[in-house]
Amino acid sequence: MIPTQEIENQLQKFLQREVFAPEVAVTPETDLVAAGFDSMSLVRTLVFIETTYGLWIPESEITGDALRNLRALATTVSRLLNARVK
Amino acid sequence: MIRHPELNGTDYLMLGFDHELRRHGFAGNTCQITLELAAAISPEALRQRLAVLVREHPVLRTRPGGVIFPKWKPARRGGDFPQVRVHRDEAGLQQKIFNEPLAINSGELLRFDLIEGGGGRMTVIFTWVHALMDAAGAEQFLAAVGQETPALPALTLPAKPCKRLPLRERLRLAWKYLHHIDHFGKTAPRSVGVRHPAAPGELRYHVEKFTAEETARIRAHGERLGGILGDGQFHVALAMVELHRLHQHLGCPSPSYVVPVSVGLRPKGASALWFGNQITVLMLQFLPAALDSVANAVAALKSQTTQALRTGLLDSGIMLGELFRFLPLPIYMAILKQGLRGEICSLFYGDTAAVNPHLTRFMGIAVEEFTHVASVTPSPGIGVIFFYFRGELRVTVLHSLKVLNETEAAEFSASLRARLLNP
Repeated sequence: MIPTQEIENQLQKFLQREVFAPEVAVTPETDLVAAGFDSMSLVRTLVFIETTYGLWIPESEITGDALRNLRALATTVSRLLNARVK
Repeated sequence: MIRHPELNGTDYLMLGFDHELRRHGFAGNTCQITLELAAAISPEALRQRLAVLVREHPVLRTRPGGVIFPKWKPARRGGDFPQVRVHRDEAGLQQKIFNEPLAINSGELLRFDLIEGGGGRMTVIFTWVHALMDAAGAEQFLAAVGQETPALPALTLPAKPCKRLPLRERLRLAWKYLHHIDHFGKTAPRSVGVRHPAAPGELRYHVEKFTAEETARIRAHGERLGGILGDGQFHVALAMVELHRLHQHLGCPSPSYVVPVSVGLRPKGASALWFGNQITVLMLQFLPAALDSVANAVAALKSQTTQALRTGLLDSGIMLGELFRFLPLPIYMAILKQGLRGEICSLFYGDTAAVNPHLTRFMGIAVEEFTHVASVTPSPGIGVIFFYFRGELRVTVLHSLKVLNETEAAEFSASLRARLLNP
């Protein structure tokens, strides 16, 4: 089982490196959509999650709540990974 | 000594489209932003601001050139660019300005036209060569021109989107993209074609405006069909459904429909002034069966986009552009069209999202309306651009007079509007 904190850290590194400009400080509380996260960024993030954790997040889980910020996204990934283990 | 930047792969593609347009008697591959101002600005003050920018950013004193390596070379002497021209308003003037070429090979990369309107109002038309910058870059540039203080953000040279890779790996990536296009060629699209050969080689545009209430309705449709962040996907899918309907209506159904969707490479939240096109193009293909409803089109779009990112197709496309920019333009365009059996695509599509928030005022004057316009190559001769101004949706519909006459284009535009409101 991967701790939620570790998922959060990995997602944070990915978003900071691959999606956002260096001048945008991505924190676990950053409102992703307000910071410019768009549909293509979303698909890139989904592909990153699939490559890293072997998990494709189903569309029903991609909600406004799940994408509210990095922490919410990491929590969703963690919950789905745990459900798969059980 | 000033070191001029190279043209990146997308810049060179835009130069290829410029060549294609001029070869068919059109003005060239230019874009426009139109600002409708509540009051007039001083042409001399605008000239002074531009002079500062031109001094600070040497790329604005260049022309495309270079042997083997395409790059921005110093402009020829004698050209007094950029021009700021002042006009009295008259019927058809904006369309006329849109069809006036820029003297790109002499170093005219951009131009300002100021139209004095009634009641002291003024329309500012900013025209630029697409090879110089993309729409987001142009918005940032315009914001820099129009801002109150003379301090301007630093120039950032065009990014090198592809990391240095061995030649063998670069060729492998480029080949993957060619293979992808070749697959499309098995059911190659067929454009509407030249239906009005006697019409002049000119482009026309029309802007569909939506109120805040209508935009909210359209956004709700987009979210329902495209999911969260699904606006863009909804717009592409809907435009393709409507294009298929247009082809059927005109009696020229196509075996498939191909649309190039721009993908921004600019990091999100970047605020520096960027020249060079910081975008790549993702080619998507729709078979007619996928265009019988917007929901089916969205599903086909999502599946292709996801697959493209999973298989690294975006990097392949960038690599192909980086390699192809060493080809002479006529050969480049011939190879490009060969992949789709003589076509470039079925529809030019742009989605520039929300207008830069710094463009609600320009040189101290309130901006009351904003429009994005761009050239479309003679085949397919049709294009659409989606964007939001002050939170309201705008759709620019572009067409070649040789492909659609004004009545046909107005019908297409009205039909697109109706379907956006009731998909």
